[in-house]
Amino acid sequence: MFSKKTLIVIKRELRDKLFSKTFILMTVLIPVFLFGVLGIQTFLMSFESDSGSQLAIISENIDLTEKLQSAFNEAPIVKSGSYKVTFETQTKARFDAYLDESKKSILDGKLTGIVFIPQKAEQDKKVEYYSKNPNNNTLFNKTRNIINQALIDLYFTGRNLSAEDITFARESVDFSSYRVSSDEKIEEEGFGNQVLAFLFTFLLYFSLIFLGTMMMRAVVEEKNNRIVELLLSSISSKELMTGKILGNGITGLIQMAIWLLPVIVLISSSIFVLPAEFILKINLVHIVYFLFNFFIGLITFLGLFATVGAIFDNDQDAQSGVWPIMILIMIPFFISIAMLSNSENPIATVASMVPFASIIVMPARMTIIEVPLWQFALAVVVNVGTLLLIFPAAGKIYRVGILMTGKKPKWSEIIKWLKYKY
Amino acid sequence: MNALEVKNLCKSFGIVKAVDDVSFGVPEGSIFGLIGRNGAGKTTTIRMMMNIYLPDAGEVFLRGEKVTAAFKDKVGYLPEERGLYKKMKVLDTLLYFAELKGKSGKEVERKAVEYLEKFELADRKLSKIEDLSKGNQQKVQFIATILHDPEFVILDEPFSGLDPINTNLLKEIILDLKRQGRVIIFSTHLMDFAERLCDHITMIDQGKVLLSGSLKELKSKYGQKHVSLNFSGDISFLKNHPIIENIEDFGSTLGIKVKDPSQTQQLLKLLVDHNVLVNKFDANEISLHEIFIHVTGKESENVF
Repeated sequence: MFSKKTLIVIKRELRDKLFSKTFILMTVLIPVFLFGVLGIQTFLMSFESDSGSQLAIISENIDLTEKLQSAFNEAPIVKSGSYKVTFETQTKARFDAYLDESKKSILDGKLTGIVFIPQKAEQDKKVEYYSKNPNNNTLFNKTRNIINQALIDLYFTGRNLSAEDITFARESVDFSSYRVSSDEKIEEEGFGNQVLAFLFTFLLYFSLIFLGTMMMRAVVEEKNNRIVELLLSSISSKELMTGKILGNGITGLIQMAIWLLPVIVLISSSIFVLPAEFILKINLVHIVYFLFNFFIGLITFLGLFATVGAIFDNDQDAQSGVWPIMILIMIPFFISIAMLSNSENPIATVASMVPFASIIVMPARMTIIEVPLWQFALAVVVNVGTLLLIFPAAGKIYRVGILMTGKKPKWSEIIKWLKYKY
Repeated sequence: MNALEVKNLCKSFGIVKAVDDVSFGVPEGSIFGLIGRNGAGKTTTIRMMMNIYLPDAGEVFLRGEKVTAAFKDKVGYLPEERGLYKKMKVLDTLLYFAELKGKSGKEVERKAVEYLEKFELADRKLSKIEDLSKGNQQKVQFIATILHDPEFVILDEPFSGLDPINTNLLKEIILDLKRQGRVIIFSTHLMDFAERLCDHITMIDQGKVLLSGSLKELKSKYGQKHVSLNFSGDISFLKNHPIIENIEDFGSTLGIKVKDPSQTQQLLKLLVDHNVLVNKFDANEISLHEIFIHVTGKESENVF
């Protein structure tokens, strides 16, 4: 299987791929693209849509309106000018008419929304929000506490309490917001790893599909061009397939290592100091695992793509016949992305140890949670086992397919190929 | 002494028996022709000889020993459908294929350049294959076949798709290799070429060997009582004539079989007496094409 001739094939593949324009371009463009995506996302998030919001706050109680007004005027969102708030006192009956009048300005976008605080809210704190876009969480989060403050103030004013008591009551509101900010801190701590998990998932997904398709094309070309017959007069199909897969695998590994270089530098040296919320909680062992996992996965998928390439003798047929393998890459990709918002997702836990899926899911999983050692070990065993299991079959289909031309074979025929004596 | 011995090769694809118990010997220093129509099983046989296919049954012997993977290094192979890496440079292509045959280093490079000069491609050695004309690509393929100095050269339908210039070039290469004592095996459905180039032939049809042997022996065996005639005029009087056994029309020539070898002179006289203009009268001569039709009882695909 592995011989001097395999090495010659590996050498040619490396020379052919490593110095090809496509390879160099992709190696440079993918990081640019990724940073571009991250940059645009950050930019969009900083440019939050709520700045310039026009809010009308209507309450039924003039005292409450006053308290709301003073609370809002103190609030940073109003001070910074990103929110413009008007206050009015109206009864429920009048409010309905007011709402009718305001409909046009809401639809025009002149008015972002109307918050109506009915009398009852003074007991149950239930307020109403009317807007073209009623599920505006950003706005709710920013105004919730301010309205709460005003309601608390009002609630205790009539109760003959000292200012101290009221301050005390308001403290409790601050206490609850402190808990929220403690949550935020946890989230910020994980932010760097979230980005990394996304990065890992995306790079794996992209690399497997990109290199796999390239491999498939190369095999189709060799078959279509009949170079393969000339090659087989010098080497065995096993040597050829092994050489091609290892050559392309090494190419992919080098590319991945180049892409991960910034991450490796960041975690292994103290030259660059990241802001606390971006600290990456992985170490070099993770990177080594990632590259090992990637290489095993790449070899597996290159074998599958090469097999599909050998079945068909033109690119179109191969493209339409490759879907079963694409699914093996895409489903784990979606599982992995879904896991980013719910790291304890049981599907992801299982997927990280299932053949094929493990290759994409496990690296992302290990960056966001502590994966027990036995799960790593199981994933490695599963992935290497899958590789060893599918290769004999893939090699057989490759060997038969590569010399079959003409009619597009049916799936049932391909199964029969496995029984051929070749 | 046979350099290569093919014994009882069989190969089926599903229910199709592509090669059915094929045996023949290839003598040292000969040009050996594997002859048959398209789909007769020639390429499958050659692929099994090269170990590209594993035979269902049968063996191939190289000078008395079973062939091994090392045999591949001793063979230069030119497949029927020829392709090269389009994006690879000419010299790189040649060196790659030579290296796969176990030859690398300065010596091979020097030889590659020598061949390129001989075939007037020296200035294209750094061009990509795709930038070469089809004819020049074929020349590169010829060089790739012989650059590693093989003992055996196997050519599968070598003349298909060649222009006249490359056809002649390839013929020269073949004769040159023969002078160097190499064994040349080629398959073809073109009887004319086989007849002009081969010393030995094996004829196969529907996966089975029809006949096998030296061309001379075969011709004298099948040529007896046979006259190859080229004429103009009316020969209908020969029908049912007592000395004639049968007449076969091969288009350009007529194959006439007389009942007794002594009757050929009588036939010539008959023709002259009936004012038939005789352009060619070849007694005891038979073309490979005629032998083929004789043994198969079918018309071959005559391309010319």
